[in-house]
Amino acid sequence: MDRKREIKLLLVATLFLAAGAISLIMWQKDDWRTVVIGASVTASSFIMLAVIWYFLGFKGDQYLLPVVAIFSYTSLIFLYRLFPEYAYRQFVWLIIGMLFLFSTTRIFSHLRWLSEYKYIYGVLGGILLIIPVFLGVEQGGAKSWLDFKMFNVQPSEFVKILVVMFLASFLSENKILLTKGSNTLLGFNMPGIKEWGPLLGMWGISLIILVLQRDLGTALIYFGTFLAMIYVATARYLYVFSGLTLFVAGGAVSYSLFDHVKDRFDIWLLNPNNFIELGDQEYNQAYQIIQSLFAIGSGGITGTGLGAGYPKFIPAVHTDFIFSAITEEMGLMGGLGIILLYLFFVYRGLMIAIQAKDDFSKLLASGLTALMGLQSFIIIGGVTKLLPLTGVTLPFISYGGSSLVANFIILGMLLSISHEAQI
Amino acid sequence: MNDNLKKLGYFFIALFSIISLYLGYINVILGPELATDSHNRRLAAAEDAVIRGAIYDIKGRILAQDQVSGEVKTRVYPLGRDGAHLIGFVSQRYGRTGAESTFDQYLLGIDQAGKIKSMLDRFLGRQQYGYDVILTVDSELQSEAAGLLKGKRGAVVALNPQNGDILALVSSPSFEPNLIDTVIGAGKTGYDQLIEQEKESAPLLNRAARGIYPPGSIFKIITQAGALELDSKYIDRIYDCKGSIEVDGFILKESAAHGKVDLNRAMAVSCNTYFASLGLEIGEEKLKSSAGSFGFGFIEYDMQGVKIEKFPVIDAEVAYNPGTIPANTLSMAEIASSAIGQGRLLTSPMQMALVASAVANGGVVMKPGILSKVISQNGLIIKKRLPEKLYTPFSEQTSRILSRAMVETVNAGTGTTAALSGVQVAGKTGSAQNPGGQTHAWFIGFAPADKPSIAIAVILENAGGGSTAAGPVARKIISRYLDSIKE
Repeated sequence: MDRKREIKLLLVATLFLAAGAISLIMWQKDDWRTVVIGASVTASSFIMLAVIWYFLGFKGDQYLLPVVAIFSYTSLIFLYRLFPEYAYRQFVWLIIGMLFLFSTTRIFSHLRWLSEYKYIYGVLGGILLIIPVFLGVEQGGAKSWLDFKMFNVQPSEFVKILVVMFLASFLSENKILLTKGSNTLLGFNMPGIKEWGPLLGMWGISLIILVLQRDLGTALIYFGTFLAMIYVATARYLYVFSGLTLFVAGGAVSYSLFDHVKDRFDIWLLNPNNFIELGDQEYNQAYQIIQSLFAIGSGGITGTGLGAGYPKFIPAVHTDFIFSAITEEMGLMGGLGIILLYLFFVYRGLMIAIQAKDDFSKLLASGLTALMGLQSFIIIGGVTKLLPLTGVTLPFISYGGSSLVANFIILGMLLSISHEAQI
Repeated sequence: MNDNLKKLGYFFIALFSIISLYLGYINVILGPELATDSHNRRLAAAEDAVIRGAIYDIKGRILAQDQVSGEVKTRVYPLGRDGAHLIGFVSQRYGRTGAESTFDQYLLGIDQAGKIKSMLDRFLGRQQYGYDVILTVDSELQSEAAGLLKGKRGAVVALNPQNGDILALVSSPSFEPNLIDTVIGAGKTGYDQLIEQEKESAPLLNRAARGIYPPGSIFKIITQAGALELDSKYIDRIYDCKGSIEVDGFILKESAAHGKVDLNRAMAVSCNTYFASLGLEIGEEKLKSSAGSFGFGFIEYDMQGVKIEKFPVIDAEVAYNPGTIPANTLSMAEIASSAIGQGRLLTSPMQMALVASAVANGGVVMKPGILSKVISQNGLIIKKRLPEKLYTPFSEQTSRILSRAMVETVNAGTGTTAALSGVQVAGKTGSAQNPGGQTHAWFIGFAPADKPSIAIAVILENAGGGSTAAGPVARKIISRYLDSIKE
């Protein structure tokens, strides 16, 4: 199998980047060299990667890289339009991310033995998660960052990969047991303590993230991914429903105990039709989400056009709220396009899981895919007020090095699983 | 396991479909509201970048204009108080009113075509300009009318009955639109001071369009129109006026016993008994439907006689109150008093100018408007207002009969104070009783009677009789206008 399709699609994506770059140059004439160089280097890096894979005989999925290329181009275009200095940094992180992607596809298959040591990285993941609670710095209300002077790292972005790997190996090993159950109650098969263990364990981890790191979004993503994986492994709705019940219960308790959780929910319950009637205090509390809705509402169907809107009125627009900026300037069409591309990513990810040959690979691929799908759903839902707002990044598009590198590693793992299924 | 994966896939399709639909809802359904929410700073920001279009009168005289000196833009209104309610003002702090509000999107150049151009301008770093708006108003007539109302409380609406073009629209007391944002001592802006006066004299209220007054005798035109539309026998109706009429024990008196009067005479002397008995003859239903055919709204009153609905507002370029009549069943006494414009009837000067214009224009009310056209910086016509029929309350024959009666009123009745030499004026006076003391003085009419080019409504609050107070004001405005179109 050659990789012509991937290269063709990347050329189409390049047209998208070129259109964005031309708009940016017209809008900001002085800096045209930076835009031209940045765009050319980025586009040729993606194409070069595809060409290298072609020569190496890599057989991974051909659709994911072009989709991610569009995400990355959107990211650079909008970051440059918002704050050029962030675009420069994101450009560097993007190149680093692509190196990680390439390395992952080269070494992943040699690391299969790792699945035998699941408890080691289970514990490692746990430690990484707890560290920021004691040593971390707070950003945007979430205490999940480690300060390395030159740059900040958010360990939870990487821990999520470890968690999915741990679950994949645990579930592939205990699948039968979890499906059958060992006890019976009133004639029904009931799973015993051993089977409930992982559910309760993940629930605990999610609550720790929620409470100690104040990171509602990440907690939701971890737990949702876990439920998706346990469903794929066992097909038992019992786990899913009891899991959801547990999470809602945990959420309800946190609502009454913790102000930051309560605030998020109270803001979520505000009526978007009635901002005019809000008191000053309520208005200021909900400032971010209201600004986000203003941006989305001002875009109309086709958007104001790149550079013609006012997305900078939204605080943190370059990280959590970049989707609102895209919808203001590219309109409903642009927003739906992005949503469809994430759905397409999920589709390809699940196809990889279906084609994978062993349970571990299937579970790993579906877990990583669910992670991406849930994360994009939760943040897009958050900035549109469909869900309570949680501070997570829009994968591949939001500004942020940790998130970008982690997502490229996930892409690398998916492509590797796909590659293994083809040989 | 592959089955489970497929189901997980369907789950994600469901999730992403929900969010797509929801995004569409926010963007398309809530979008317009969000885009114009007062907390949304986008409009103000977009506005800052644009030089707002100028507003001109029909003869090309400037009514509003941005004056730019360096970075500072000031909106200037040469007419000052004379045009304050009509032209309005625009202020970052206090919003926008009048034509400045109605034509905001043109003045900012943000219609669909303008959006593309302004995006290009922004790309290319060019100054963005809004469109110029030309009104149907004649600023000299406007100032003349404002002068006549100076120091009084009242309103004037003058319009062209043939096409609905508003020629002058004055509300008094007025305010100085050039000082809205200006701090005038004690840290108070002009607007703050106006708010303080609001309870006492309501200078911000546009009385011409949104003031609500009892109509008094000018309502008799509507009663008569209803009768003529019902049956042609009412053309020749004769009534013997004995100076008072008793309805269910309620006695309606008037100044004199007029004796036997026909329609023309009854209109000329404004005979209360003639029209009260006419109202009873045609009945409540016809009386109400006649008012309804002019756009009057019906509102419910509760047992205590307190109205329990909001006043209706007609969404025109100058939004106005169309007048109201109770929706409740009326007693005989109230039918009689409603027929002569007393009772629980309320109306605005704009609505009464439209009643006059119906008679003037063969029974057809044209939609009132102040926009002549919108033109871009390079002279392209962006929009032109076309005449539009609003109501047809009665036939051309009825209009001829009413017109004759109104001519009679000006020639030999209460309306002689509005008569002009050389031009036949038609009109009707009213002296509307109200709880505030002296009667409100009304005059509505049109001229020239055979080929009307101006219809007018004048009200002066608590100024006494329509004949003595309002008639002369109408006469001067009509005279001024007819002179100006002769030139």
